[in-house]
Amino acid sequence: MSWCVKSLSLICQQIKNPQLTCVRNRYHAEKIAKGPLLRRYGYRDRILQSGTLPHVDGPRLPMPVYRPKNAWCEKRALFGQNDYIDILGNGDLHPTRIMYNVQSWLRGVKGNEYQILLRKRKIFSKGIVPIARPTKWRDLNKRISYLYRFLNEKTKTGMPSN
Amino acid sequence: MLVHWHHSYSTYQRGSTQVGATACKMAVVNRIYLFSRISITPKILLDPINRVCGGRRFDSTSVSSDGEVSNSSLSTTPIIRRTLACPPEYKRVQQAWVENLNTVEEQKLGLIDLHPDVFGAQPRIDIIHENVEWQTKYRKVRYDHTKTRAEVRGGGRKPWPQKGTGKARHGSIRSPLWRGGGIAHGPRSPQTYFYMLPFYTRVHGLISCLSIKLAQDDLHVVNSLEIPTDDPKYIEDLVENRNWGPSVLLVDEIDIMPRNITAATDSILHINLMPVYGLNVFSMLKHDTLVLTMAAVNRIEEKLLYQLNRPDFMDVTKKFMLNQNG
Repeated sequence: MSWCVKSLSLICQQIKNPQLTCVRNRYHAEKIAKGPLLRRYGYRDRILQSGTLPHVDGPRLPMPVYRPKNAWCEKRALFGQNDYIDILGNGDLHPTRIMYNVQSWLRGVKGNEYQILLRKRKIFSKGIVPIARPTKWRDLNKRISYLYRFLNEKTKTGMPSN
Repeated sequence: MLVHWHHSYSTYQRGSTQVGATACKMAVVNRIYLFSRISITPKILLDPINRVCGGRRFDSTSVSSDGEVSNSSLSTTPIIRRTLACPPEYKRVQQAWVENLNTVEEQKLGLIDLHPDVFGAQPRIDIIHENVEWQTKYRKVRYDHTKTRAEVRGGGRKPWPQKGTGKARHGSIRSPLWRGGGIAHGPRSPQTYFYMLPFYTRVHGLISCLSIKLAQDDLHVVNSLEIPTDDPKYIEDLVENRNWGPSVLLVDEIDIMPRNITAATDSILHINLMPVYGLNVFSMLKHDTLVLTMAAVNRIEEKLLYQLNRPDFMDVTKKFMLNQNG
């Protein structure tokens, strides 16, 4: 009995709010009158303008913790000490002789790779390196030979001509 | 034109409202501002002080315009004087108060002359910049290193024949094109950045810096570094009371300092002790205040005047040779 009442009420609703679906035009003139068909119109901005943020409970992106450098640690507080020792101290002591943080064969040395390697070979040939580190020694000599040929055959040597 | 250095400690501070230009770029926290002032030399003429009878000590507020000492607390400490051995004829002598470190409050023990060639020279900012750059760079060595195709392990054999396989032609598996291959133009260690500034550029850097420190009231002369206690709080109170900068560089003649000051400043990282031979432009600019003892002033003046007037200057201005002695 209740299904009768239900179906009756549904029919009454449909009569009250009929759903209209236009499938096709009856006349060509009606189609033309409607105008050109508009498809894929408009733009939907995919940016959240409201609501909660996404991933607020999940794992956050990793950011390193900011650790400021101590500007007054001993190394930084006394940086540059004794650089003027030949002016304000004994005139015989040059600042290159107290560059203790630099390897001894590199104190006061400036040059390109070839010049540095030549100096390295000159100094290390007197020690144990050729015997104890044969591969490294061989690589050093190979590199020096290669650079000699490269710099003399493939690059300009001497002073510029103009 | 005067120069003012500003140093920040915990945060990189912006927003000074001085009108001027950033004159140089060096280490991150140091910046320069230029602003104009009229007079460079300090305040008091020599004559009123000489009229005060010997044996009187005077405080900072006590000397009036006519030169009479009007302070109630007098003692019999002699006034410290200093006359220049070779005073210049046509230059104005610089002067500085001599203070004490015995008490937290400042007590002036005398007024000494300073040679203008050392403490009253033209402040050359460009020379100071060159000096600071030199100090930063000349000891730098880069040790990063990459292997070339010859040094990488393996890669002697041709991986596949030149023709026949549909693959690209290759001669070794360690060429720079390959993953795991050598680096063609990478860093090759060790790379040094050593160079020497001309001798007199360095001398003038020191002179400019000392002159600037004196002109900007950041230079103080004390009679000695003796303090009554080895408590760090004493030094902090002293610096706070006298409005010395947060960071102080105390310079004595030799590298052996009294025990109390060494113990007190040991725990304070921004108050440092240095002998005269360790003095340098970078440290003078890093520390806000420079405090010299009388002995240090004598030694600095003697050394710098000698360097400015030495007869064998051609020997020191020669190019630096690696195997030179000294």
